[in-house]
Amino acid sequence: MELRTTADLMDTILQEQKIGKYSFCVTQSEKQELNLENGGFKLLRTVFNNNGNVKVFLGEKMGAAAGNDLSENGLQKLVQEAKAAAASASDDPCHDIAPNQGKDVFRQGQYEPDMDRFIERIKEFVDTAAKEYPKVKIMSGIGSYDRWNWISRNTNGTEFEGIGGQYSFSIEICAGEGEKTTGLDYTHVSMKSLDTPFMELGDIRRHLEDVQNSIYPEALEGKFEGTVIMTPGCALDFIWMTLSNYITDGVIIDGTSQWLDKVGEQVADEKLTISLKPFDERIVIGERGTGNGFRSEDVTLIDKGVLKTHWLSLYGANKTGRPAVKNTGSDLVVEPGKGTLEELIASVDKGLLMGGFSGGQPGTNGEFSGVAKNSFLIENGKIKGAVTETMVNGNLGEAFRNIRGISKELKCDGGSVVPYIAVDGIVISGK
Amino acid sequence: MLQDIIGTKRELFADGVQTVLRGHENRNRRVVLLKGNLVQNARSEAAGISARVNNKGTFGFASIAEYSPEAAEKVIRAATENALALGRHSGRDIPLPVSMGTGIVPLNTEIRDTDQKTIIDMCRTVDRYIETRYPDLSSRTVVYYEDSQDRIVYSSDAYNGHLVTPRCYVYVMMSAETKDGAPVELFKAFGGFGSFYDHFTKPEELFPGIDALYKKLMDKKEGVYAEAGYKTVVLGGMMGGMLAHEAVGHTVEADLVRGGSVAGPNLNKRVASNLVTMVDFAHTYQGKPAPLPVYLDDEGTKAEDDILIKDGILTGYMNDRESAAEYGMQPLGNARGWSFADEPIIRMRNTCILPGKSTVEELIASVDDGYYLIDSGNGQADLTGEFMFGVTCGYEIKNGKLGKALLDTTVTGVAFEMLKTVDMVSDTVEWSSSGFCGKKQPMAVGMGGPHMRCKIMIGGR
Repeated sequence: MELRTTADLMDTILQEQKIGKYSFCVTQSEKQELNLENGGFKLLRTVFNNNGNVKVFLGEKMGAAAGNDLSENGLQKLVQEAKAAAASASDDPCHDIAPNQGKDVFRQGQYEPDMDRFIERIKEFVDTAAKEYPKVKIMSGIGSYDRWNWISRNTNGTEFEGIGGQYSFSIEICAGEGEKTTGLDYTHVSMKSLDTPFMELGDIRRHLEDVQNSIYPEALEGKFEGTVIMTPGCALDFIWMTLSNYITDGVIIDGTSQWLDKVGEQVADEKLTISLKPFDERIVIGERGTGNGFRSEDVTLIDKGVLKTHWLSLYGANKTGRPAVKNTGSDLVVEPGKGTLEELIASVDKGLLMGGFSGGQPGTNGEFSGVAKNSFLIENGKIKGAVTETMVNGNLGEAFRNIRGISKELKCDGGSVVPYIAVDGIVISGK
Repeated sequence: MLQDIIGTKRELFADGVQTVLRGHENRNRRVVLLKGNLVQNARSEAAGISARVNNKGTFGFASIAEYSPEAAEKVIRAATENALALGRHSGRDIPLPVSMGTGIVPLNTEIRDTDQKTIIDMCRTVDRYIETRYPDLSSRTVVYYEDSQDRIVYSSDAYNGHLVTPRCYVYVMMSAETKDGAPVELFKAFGGFGSFYDHFTKPEELFPGIDALYKKLMDKKEGVYAEAGYKTVVLGGMMGGMLAHEAVGHTVEADLVRGGSVAGPNLNKRVASNLVTMVDFAHTYQGKPAPLPVYLDDEGTKAEDDILIKDGILTGYMNDRESAAEYGMQPLGNARGWSFADEPIIRMRNTCILPGKSTVEELIASVDDGYYLIDSGNGQADLTGEFMFGVTCGYEIKNGKLGKALLDTTVTGVAFEMLKTVDMVSDTVEWSSSGFCGKKQPMAVGMGGPHMRCKIMIGGR
């Protein structure tokens, strides 16, 4: 069945059920995925998938259902399930759908793949890696081409259609000599075209260099308070943890956020500006319609260290009387700093260049504690060797306030744009 | 539940390759009450069919979101074409694994569905209990989560069968404020293998566990930071299970061994003290069903237990058919996919360090200055065996007695070094099965362990 026919049928079924208020999205997708193991092709995977999700309202009661059977019977069942869920709920007027956003079609990325060229690019990457980084092993690699067509509608009159496709490439790597092996490292990029060799995308080359230089790490001795320069990938993880802990629905609704009443106030160093920018040209497939049914917008969450808004869904906004953010994506952009990474490193007396963080999910108090992965010791402004069994401890909120510097260099991996971020006051401990 | 409408399509399996056809359905039920607000109220079902073909070590996989005989024909053809097409680029020429026997694995249990109202009513009963009894909490969340898997497997030269894996849980999360106004949290999962009616028809049976959770949270409110460093600790059973899964289990998955994990050069060598024996159980533990029983995997291998460490010596890996042939081992049923769209990869099932002879009280009494680490929020491990667990609940031990509670911290170590420091093991095992293991795809796994006394790096301010 054509997707538009499916959407029309869904409308018909919902209206026949006399449901006056609803929203739904139906999606057809296709994946062609090439899997590498230890540098060689091993698996070609093809996935044809569907998805339908529907939210229905019976008065002020809301219920939702999802499934992948988009036949007429499947849609009927989906609506029945959502209706039954709504009938079981209690009244809550805060559940709602976005007002009319009009109709639009969003075409993004590459809808017709060039799989031969994709395979050649992957082979080229494997060959380049073997030649330039002979101690690095590509344990696994996934080259995926994904395309999709979705239609979302709601009873306020909105209809969005998305048509798109993208390539992505991710690797898990380690390095070794004899029986000596490094830990795992990984990175990922997504792209609209195959114009650039994969080695030059995102920070792939940097990951290969770092892992090749990590074969003989040393355990750190003692404990000290120092500076941690987070690589863009590591910084991104910390930013997500912080946003999740301080400004999203759950912690604002239940009032446990440390930034509950901080909108308009300085919560971070003035060097830090964080936005969600689905329309930034460096983002390959930016969000166009939110999960709540709004048109997506670029949104600045923290501007020069000042918290501009909490990141609330429509429900969270209605529940707390605060504004909803018209962005539910992950298109995160952090503004660059003025100095280079080299200058940042030169400014550090003692600390770490931290490539990854393996730690427990911090509680709402923001306390974090974990292991520095893929990391190097910095002493007297210079990078020393790789470290192992090294722990870092601190507080997310304090870390945001204690930013020593942000690099000019940015990692653009197609999904986010992030610099290196140096943070003071982190407790670093070894054996 | 899935009806067998695909078995006759075996006639389409190509000669000279190994083919597995799988019908698979995942269903989820989810209810979330945040401070009494019903913030999530959703049900989902996703079914489809897939085929995987092994052609001399090059694999083709195809899946369609439709469970029908026609879809079976399409995926068999597409997976075969994929295997042949990629073979032109892969250069692999690996003999197909030999058959380890054929037969039928019968349906193990049934999935019983529950209407959403019953689930919501139960959650409200639990929520009201917490709200009424513990009004001083700053926040509370009650989550009902159910995921059930139903698969029918047909293979060209292995077992065929029907396996269902229903599991459901209630997660209770509580928050309170310290005297400084900082939030502290704890959570507990109730439930396990089976359906709603196996666990939650009497919500009041959860109340004692909720009371115990509240007491621990009140202790944590007055908690202190651990002192960072290399310490003697008693790991609780849940931590022991996390150790079995994260620190050891992943390093002995044969695909990671092939990638260079520390287990490669350590086969048949001492990796732990002689008090440590670790097994990946298939479906039965001490004569009773294991937390998440697996009778058949997604390559058609009949599931059996896999002894990984015996008296401190590394004795085996977890394998799929191909890696088992490569390492001269027997495939024991570890190749599993999460959904119809996922190819089978090597996964743990019910991984457990076996109990010893000491009591928990004896372990705690034996520590002069250290920590009792009870619960973990999450964990990760590396090829080198370097692991990390978040510790959400723990206490100081001073002169053999429990002291103040700990605020959240993290422990780390290198598995095969840390396990050699295990010098006391308790006589009981605690299991958990409510989490997910992430490795390209999610997977439901069971993990278990005894209390163990050992030395470990702990983080702190």
